[in-house]
Amino acid sequence: MKFRLPFTLVFVAFALILLLGPLQPYLRETGALTPFYLTGISLGEFVSHPYGLLLYVASGMQSCFAIPWLGATLFTASLIAVAYAQKWAFRLNDNWFGLCWVIPFWLLVNYTKMGYLIYTTKAVAPAFTPILQVLIGVLLLGCLRVGLSHWWMLSVKATSSRRVIAIVVSVLIFLSSAITAYSNSFRDVNFLNSLRMKHAAEAGEWEQILQIARDGEQEPTRIQVCLTRLALFKTGRMGDELFTYPEGSAQYNATQNQWLRLMVGPLLYYHYGKLGFAYRWAMEDMVEYGERPAYLRYLYSVAKLNGEDALAKRYERSLARTLFYKDIDKNKEQEISEISPLLNYTDQLDGDNGLVEFYLLHSFTLSEGGSREMVELSLMDGLITKNLTGFWPRFMALLPTWKGHIPAHYQEAALMMAQLQGNSPLSDFSVIDPTIQQRFQRLVETSARMGDNTANATALRPEYGNTYWYYYFFVEGLKTN
Amino acid sequence: MNGHVSIFSIPAIVLTMVNLCGCSPSLPTTYEETIWEADVAPNNFGATLPPNIAPLNFKILQGETSEAITHLHSRNKEGIIVGGWDVCFDEDDWHKLLEQTQGDTLYCDIYLKVCNVWKHLPTQHFLIAKEPIDPYITYRLIRPSYVTYEELTINERCLENFDERVIYENMRFEDSDQGQCINCHMPRNWNRNAQSQFHVRQALGGTVFIHGNEVTKVNLKTDSTLSAGVYSSWHPTLNLIAYSVNETGQVFHTLDPQKVEVIDYASDLILYDTEANTVQHIERTASEFESFPTWSPDGRTLYYISAHYTPRLDDIDADLDTNYDLLHYNIYARDFDLTTRRFGPRRPVFNSEAIGKSASVPRVSPDGKYLLFTLADYGQFHIWHRSADLWILPLDNKQSVAAQPLQQANSLSSESYHTWSSNGRWILFSSRRDDDNYTRLYISYFDEKGHAHKPFRLPQQSVDCDNFLLRSYNAAEFLLQPVQPSQGQLRKAVKANARHATYAGSALAQPETDSIKNRIPQFTSNGRRESIAY
Repeated sequence: MKFRLPFTLVFVAFALILLLGPLQPYLRETGALTPFYLTGISLGEFVSHPYGLLLYVASGMQSCFAIPWLGATLFTASLIAVAYAQKWAFRLNDNWFGLCWVIPFWLLVNYTKMGYLIYTTKAVAPAFTPILQVLIGVLLLGCLRVGLSHWWMLSVKATSSRRVIAIVVSVLIFLSSAITAYSNSFRDVNFLNSLRMKHAAEAGEWEQILQIARDGEQEPTRIQVCLTRLALFKTGRMGDELFTYPEGSAQYNATQNQWLRLMVGPLLYYHYGKLGFAYRWAMEDMVEYGERPAYLRYLYSVAKLNGEDALAKRYERSLARTLFYKDIDKNKEQEISEISPLLNYTDQLDGDNGLVEFYLLHSFTLSEGGSREMVELSLMDGLITKNLTGFWPRFMALLPTWKGHIPAHYQEAALMMAQLQGNSPLSDFSVIDPTIQQRFQRLVETSARMGDNTANATALRPEYGNTYWYYYFFVEGLKTN
Repeated sequence: MNGHVSIFSIPAIVLTMVNLCGCSPSLPTTYEETIWEADVAPNNFGATLPPNIAPLNFKILQGETSEAITHLHSRNKEGIIVGGWDVCFDEDDWHKLLEQTQGDTLYCDIYLKVCNVWKHLPTQHFLIAKEPIDPYITYRLIRPSYVTYEELTINERCLENFDERVIYENMRFEDSDQGQCINCHMPRNWNRNAQSQFHVRQALGGTVFIHGNEVTKVNLKTDSTLSAGVYSSWHPTLNLIAYSVNETGQVFHTLDPQKVEVIDYASDLILYDTEANTVQHIERTASEFESFPTWSPDGRTLYYISAHYTPRLDDIDADLDTNYDLLHYNIYARDFDLTTRRFGPRRPVFNSEAIGKSASVPRVSPDGKYLLFTLADYGQFHIWHRSADLWILPLDNKQSVAAQPLQQANSLSSESYHTWSSNGRWILFSSRRDDDNYTRLYISYFDEKGHAHKPFRLPQQSVDCDNFLLRSYNAAEFLLQPVQPSQGQLRKAVKANARHATYAGSALAQPETDSIKNRIPQFTSNGRRESIAY
């Protein structure tokens, strides 16, 4: 007993620190990606398949990751059960107890190493199913051993001389397993930051997204860039701040390149008012990966916004059968009021080929008219795609709505456009902040002096890196997806 | 009342059942009459039922009631009493009662206890027809999805009880590179001689033919045809099947709740000879999109739909993405000579374009008197069109009645893909009336005067089955007997190599100008649509 407790406590500390520390957003996302209904019908459907009861229990336990501390506790407790079951099944002496933790560490890392693959796995409950399988297997073996105990000889009784060796080996194996588990856990910063931003977006906590974007030390992925832009749009600060945030297209730390669509496709389409596409991708993913709450939420939200009450009710009923996703209507009124102005356009037939960011940018860039919010998105997306054809009409249409404060990036773009094209419809440049005018003048002079673009990029970055001018002239080759 | 059954409520259900077994509910002796409308789901009251149908269980949704009793009875008050809000009838009692009331009226009285006072709702009724319904149906269960497909099943359901089994499911042969789509299980003559077919697409693709316990797989795609066979119709007496061959794509609405358009960018008709294993063209024109062939019961006429396509832009994708709502399908027919096995010239049957509509899925009644079809504002894939309704056209020359909508069967949402029972008295059709998205099956009585009666939803053991099923019923057909081969036999046949059909020219008595050569250079694609592989 005296050796079991320290091993157990160290394992608990290790697992909980890892799961509730850096991996907490991963746990939460796992919960949302776990299809589980607490109903007799669902249980019946599961048990009609081989090992269905085990899968049902495993998915129920895994859905508890929606409340990370609860899921982590269940997960850790299950792994401890595996360790103790081995000790019992193999009648291992306390001195060798460290050996019993190898499999729990494997099972732990089996889940924590998945990272992006949690979106594409078709296993119902990849975290808990292997644990329950091993646990049941070991317990069955134990029962067999008890039944045949008269000839079972695997019990290892250490003599006092070998005791120290046993303990040392046990501790070494335990520690090496822990180190292996930690080093193999998927702690990719961009992945975890993307999850934090996604969860903040789902909660309508737009400031938190901007905080995460500002604090990021690595080149962001397109997921992070898109969520940052969405947060800036929602907070009304897009025109002032968009080009002050980090740009980038860092590679995803996983094979394939479909992660933006899988992680935030429905979310982005929904918030930008492309309801048909939000519904489509949530449905396509539900077909591929099952009735995950993550998809049902968007199917429900789109149906609600579309005014399809009976359909919304159907999804609401499904969500009501889950353990942790019943409260679907939280913030719904505000969400709807924010999205409604973006629905002021004529429906059209289209296809995006799974390229969410590309489609959204070009869709708004090429759109005409609509609400004030849509015109501003068209203006900004035109700037982002460097398609300035519609700049002046949109700028002039929005000018009265800015009521004296023209957002900085639009001022920068207006100055640049006037410089590049000459005849500007803006008769009076006094509406442009003199500081911005002076800054632009300095940029023009410096550029003229320095010549070559590539050299300019590095030299001008410290002073102009947060301007549209810098983005327009020097930021190239971003891989939107 | 909440709709779902929590597993925590199972003990309560068991206790209730024990109570019910111990003392069956009795009708209240004193009650007050009300004019409350019965709030039940599904509300099948007023429908005409086959005498051999499974119990029409339902759920009482009326709130703030402490007890509920339902009395289903014949004219002489003999019947079944069920307590509780989940009204589930005993199958034996139900069938006994239907036997007694065949050709008569079945009554349903609901009593609700509100504030300790029993209230009696106005008596509801069903009409029990004399004519039975075919005992089996098959359908595909599919999510109302777009491009992806997983866990598709072709199911067989006995209409006389709740037995349902999977005939074939698509997950066994899926791999990471290629999925397997399955569709269109189509029996010959209601499976009277145990003959049917269905399609397998992509992985191990081919058309699977079932005859008794024999299963074979054929690849109907030839170098001279657009695709493998798609929508099919068995000839009633000869070993021939008419198919459409289609180049189909899907394009998505950005805002319209109809969500998707399934568009044919080209389509023709072919005739497959199951003995000679040959394929012949029936229709092969670039400017006409033909589809949904269907034989008359005597096998002397082939009906089908066709839309005339006039290109407005060089790019057919861009053209149809913009002008999809200008594509109108009419119904045509060609006479068929049973001796020479050749088709005569095409003749118009119903000009839907003239009334600004578009027809699809024509089906002739078994007595040959009526043509049942779906009519919507445009296109041919009407399950996604809320304007889609069932229409009937008398084919009998004695009747001067024009085509009419089946008012009693239709709803504000989409009605589509319908089929006749073997005795012609029952119509099975898909409808999205419940929520505009998930298709459910409805059955309507079709009387001798050519009128449809109020339909009822496919009976389910528990109402929750339909409430929580996030799948649609698709392409349902009646069967007189079950499909014979096991899943294992079907899988073995699917796994085997397909026999390749050979092309044997035109099936027309006087082949028309072949405009297929113009098709490929004329139509190009900008890749916006998601193509469906046939």
